Amino acid sequence: MSNFKIKKTSIRLVVALKEEAQIILDQFKLKAVNEKTIYPIYKNEEETHWLIISGIGRSNAAASTAYLYSYSKASKYTSWINIGIAGSNKGNYGELYLVDKISTFQDKKGTYPSTMPKTTLPKMHLFTSDIPIVDYSDHELIDMEGSAFFDIASKLTSKEFICLMKVISDGPQNDIKDITKSKISNLIKKNLLKIIDVISYYETLSEEELQIAEKPKLFFEIKSKWHFSATQSYKLETLLRRVELFCNKKDIKEKIKPCRTSNSVINVLNSKIKKNLVNWSEF
Amino acid sequence: MIETIYVEEAIKNHPRTKFILKKFKKSRIILINKYGEIFNKRNQNFRIQKANPNLILAHKKNGFVLPAPDGFGIGSSKNFYFSHMYNCIYDCRYCFLQGMYSSANYVIFVNFEDFDIALKKIIENNKNSKLTFFSGYDCDSLALENVTGFAKHILSFFKTHHQIEIEFRTKSIQKEPFILMKPMNNVILAYSLIPELMANSLDNKTPSISKRIRVISELASRGWKIGLRFDPLIHGKNWKELYQELLENLYNTISLDEIHSVSFGPLRFPKRMFKDIFKLYPNEPLFTSSLSANNKIISYDVEIEEEMTSFCKDISLKYIKEDLIFKCSI
Repeated sequence: MSNFKIKKTSIRLVVALKEEAQIILDQFKLKAVNEKTIYPIYKNEEETHWLIISGIGRSNAAASTAYLYSYSKASKYTSWINIGIAGSNKGNYGELYLVDKISTFQDKKGTYPSTMPKTTLPKMHLFTSDIPIVDYSDHELIDMEGSAFFDIASKLTSKEFICLMKVISDGPQNDIKDITKSKISNLIKKNLLKIIDVISYYETLSEEELQIAEKPKLFFEIKSKWHFSATQSYKLETLLRRVELFCNKKDIKEKIKPCRTSNSVINVLNSKIKKNLVNWSEF
Repeated sequence: MIETIYVEEAIKNHPRTKFILKKFKKSRIILINKYGEIFNKRNQNFRIQKANPNLILAHKKNGFVLPAPDGFGIGSSKNFYFSHMYNCIYDCRYCFLQGMYSSANYVIFVNFEDFDIALKKIIENNKNSKLTFFSGYDCDSLALENVTGFAKHILSFFKTHHQIEIEFRTKSIQKEPFILMKPMNNVILAYSLIPELMANSLDNKTPSISKRIRVISELASRGWKIGLRFDPLIHGKNWKELYQELLENLYNTISLDEIHSVSFGPLRFPKRMFKDIFKLYPNEPLFTSSLSANNKIISYDVEIEEEMTSFCKDISLKYIKEDLIFKCSI
């Protein structure tokens, strides 16, 4: 048997500051990895949840997202979440917002992240700037990482697996200069339950997709007994997916037992499909 | 419930945009430049989007009316199709729309008048041919009628071109605008049907077959011409009994005088499309059928296709004339 193992879910968090991350590290019991890394990386014991501290700015956000992808061996079905503080003159101080449009000085037309469905959380447009902005009038939310995180994450997975959420930390009534480390921690802490809710949606999404993508039960067992080329392996996987829906594992094993070659295994499975009459009353 | 509606900046003040937006007062509106920024971009998950699709309102620039693929028609010498919308609110497991676009969001084009211009041009260029136009190739032609009003709009065009046929292909039970109008002889209301037992598993989010039959019967009794589309024919245990029951139920319920045409079509997927759809729905019972590859097409064996078509045709011949029966072969 292969040691192929699918983990239950897969979450990657990209956070600019340690103060933003601390409460999340505690909540998900994430511990620093045991080696020197370019950016600080944390993970839970099961290695399902990982967090990277990116530092401030777009370059850091892009580099750290790509680095975490590679370091943690994230899959296509990993959910990517960016959490952080943002400036705003439109929303309420201390409130959490989901992001459904991102623009930058360079890309004014914008990109459009998905947001989790059926949520009561408010949504806003995010403007990612390379320098701190104190004139809040032209934008809903302002940060310094979001666009770069999204650009890289959307190369790693489908946009449905990417989420950006921001807590308003400054604005015309709350001077950016008054932001302190403890204020940042408190802002995130105040929204922890909402953050957990969002993460939980992405955990489920990732888990469901991983299950769908999981190889059929007999795939590795059969591959260990006969030699399959890459094309044959694809055929085997497809046929097994189909056959396992109407035939139990034991029957399949019995049928292919006398086979001498991988080709004859494929032929046996093909003939099972040929003979199958779908019983629509069962579905 | 549509949570987000993306609206192209250029049509944000179009009367039809405003008309549609009025129907979704709780939706979040996001202005965009081009619908391509949202629709059909790479790295989208069709299955996840299909669970909660968003709406995009856009301006169509070209390709308003296109020649229908060979084998799609029902007797006319020239067949064309047009789609005021991309994607469908239904989720039928055999539908090619699952593999057509990477996005499951709905796109509605609001510039209906440009469809009229394109239709007029084709009619003028084909004065000596019998023409049929098909509405609803990239979508269901009536499913969102209460939102778009497209059928109502296009019917007024065909009212003045009564020699040209228009077919609305649908699985919906939308009766408007037809219930409010006098029947038009050049309009065919074509319903896609499979046996109820199969529909329960394959026709997701659609009205039940019995509801569809009730609406067909009502519209036929008002004098509207009806098309019955058994396309695709689905194989499986007891398929003969299931199709016999469906066909006899239909022919005994609806006014036979109003049947314009009946067509039968095989289940077929281009190989590439099948691969995409199978990837999306690997646990789908339909794919446990004896489907195999033949010339880049995934289908039932020819013997199965022919047996099903001739069985259904034979039953139909007990009720209607042979010249009303067509074989769809795309």
